[in-house]
Amino acid sequence: MTKQTFLHEKHIELGAKMVDFAGWNMPVQYTSIIEEHKTVRENVGLFDVSHMGELIVYGEDALPFLNKLVPQDISKLVDKKAIYCQLPNKNGGLIDDLIIYKLEDNKYLIIANASRVDEDLNWMTRNKLGFNAEIDNISHKYSLIAVQGPKACDLIMSIGENYLPPFFSIKRSELFNINLWISRTGYTGEDGVEIMVKNEFAEYLWDKLLEAGKQYGIKPIGLGARDTLRLEAALHLYGNDLDENTTPIEAGLSWSVSKTKEEDYNGKEVIMEQLKNGGKKNLIGFKMLDKSIARHEYDVYSNGEKIGIVTSGGVSPTRGDNIGLAYIYSPLDKFPVGSTIQIMIREKLHDAEIVKKPFVAKRNKV
Amino acid sequence: MDENMLCTKTHEYVLEKDGNYEVGITDYAINQLGDIVFLELPDIGSEFTKGEVFATIESVKAASEIYMPISGKVIEINEEIVNSPELLNDESYENKWFIKIESDGDQVELADLLDYSDYREEVE
Repeated sequence: MTKQTFLHEKHIELGAKMVDFAGWNMPVQYTSIIEEHKTVRENVGLFDVSHMGELIVYGEDALPFLNKLVPQDISKLVDKKAIYCQLPNKNGGLIDDLIIYKLEDNKYLIIANASRVDEDLNWMTRNKLGFNAEIDNISHKYSLIAVQGPKACDLIMSIGENYLPPFFSIKRSELFNINLWISRTGYTGEDGVEIMVKNEFAEYLWDKLLEAGKQYGIKPIGLGARDTLRLEAALHLYGNDLDENTTPIEAGLSWSVSKTKEEDYNGKEVIMEQLKNGGKKNLIGFKMLDKSIARHEYDVYSNGEKIGIVTSGGVSPTRGDNIGLAYIYSPLDKFPVGSTIQIMIREKLHDAEIVKKPFVAKRNKV
Repeated sequence: MDENMLCTKTHEYVLEKDGNYEVGITDYAINQLGDIVFLELPDIGSEFTKGEVFATIESVKAASEIYMPISGKVIEINEEIVNSPELLNDESYENKWFIKIESDGDQVELADLLDYSDYREEVE
């Protein structure tokens, strides 16, 4: 049974084209993916991301429990701050990637991928033995609305928020007399916030934001543009760029692995070994040198030999060319930025150039 | 759309023009695809039988193959939409045909196709 968010009727009213994604019926576009993409880069966009999972981990062992699960050092997290991390299995492969917020001592909020919530819960429960901690899946109680773009913060300030949390922080707040959580996070590479609100207020908040956002050029944005936006920002998509056979080191996420954490965690041995010696593959960014478009699972070649696979590929509406992410089964120094590779597209090889990530500069760090 | 066009269930159309045929995809298909960003057409002179893939169209989301509605030989391709595939999304733009073909107009092949009005009923 496909699930619907509490904003489903709003999407239909707005004329969205709906698709099934990770067990949810979601808007893929309202008018045009390219138009929606540009709205977020230039003004502000409103996203329903209520399909995402929200878990609360609490109890006196909440901290050591989380520290057993992730490569980041959760003890470094101060109140109301967030940290990006992953949930590795024993081999360092990724069960999911997550954002963990410290709400207060012994209480953390986890935002998980819609497609992985059940797996995450399974894995966390299996690892909980001996820890005095509880996991509360609150996904069915809360809606998540993202407001993203260079004018997103102006919009939120204009409706009575006098102090926005800094980048990767969360605060309890009130908008239009509704209690909610505002975090300075997103999945677009732009500045903006994500708002977690009780389901019963989601429609009201959505309408109010669209109305107040008119003067800023706000538009509702579907999953199609969410994907092109995150690709330009080279943000990983679980299921494409991350999976259980990929370590954080291979995914280019070494920056999100603690180098000093003493506690043991799942996959630590493999991850620390790869931190020193490198993984089996490396994620690179590329741009196509002709008008062709690389897609998920197309093969990558060099000198007539298959050397890797595209994990995400598509158009870059901001740059006006076609870009992608691929795993190359070689050390990175063999394929530095500027080198040429080929992508097999419909039985023909097309030249691509390895470029620096992100493809479009991020503008979300304050 | 020209009411005389004949359509396939896979959203291609064929329209007779001065003894030859224009081949393209329906307005319904274009609408379903959304923003079109790439179009690959065959070389002039290539021959295809009915049902063969002759072109690839890509929207932001995905690549789709386009099948020949009837057998024939390519005599002209629409360079304008190859160079600017976004024209396909422009409602004021009319030249949305992909290729022109020479065909013997096999009646059996043509009889397989749907009238535009039947096609609309089929897809809606």
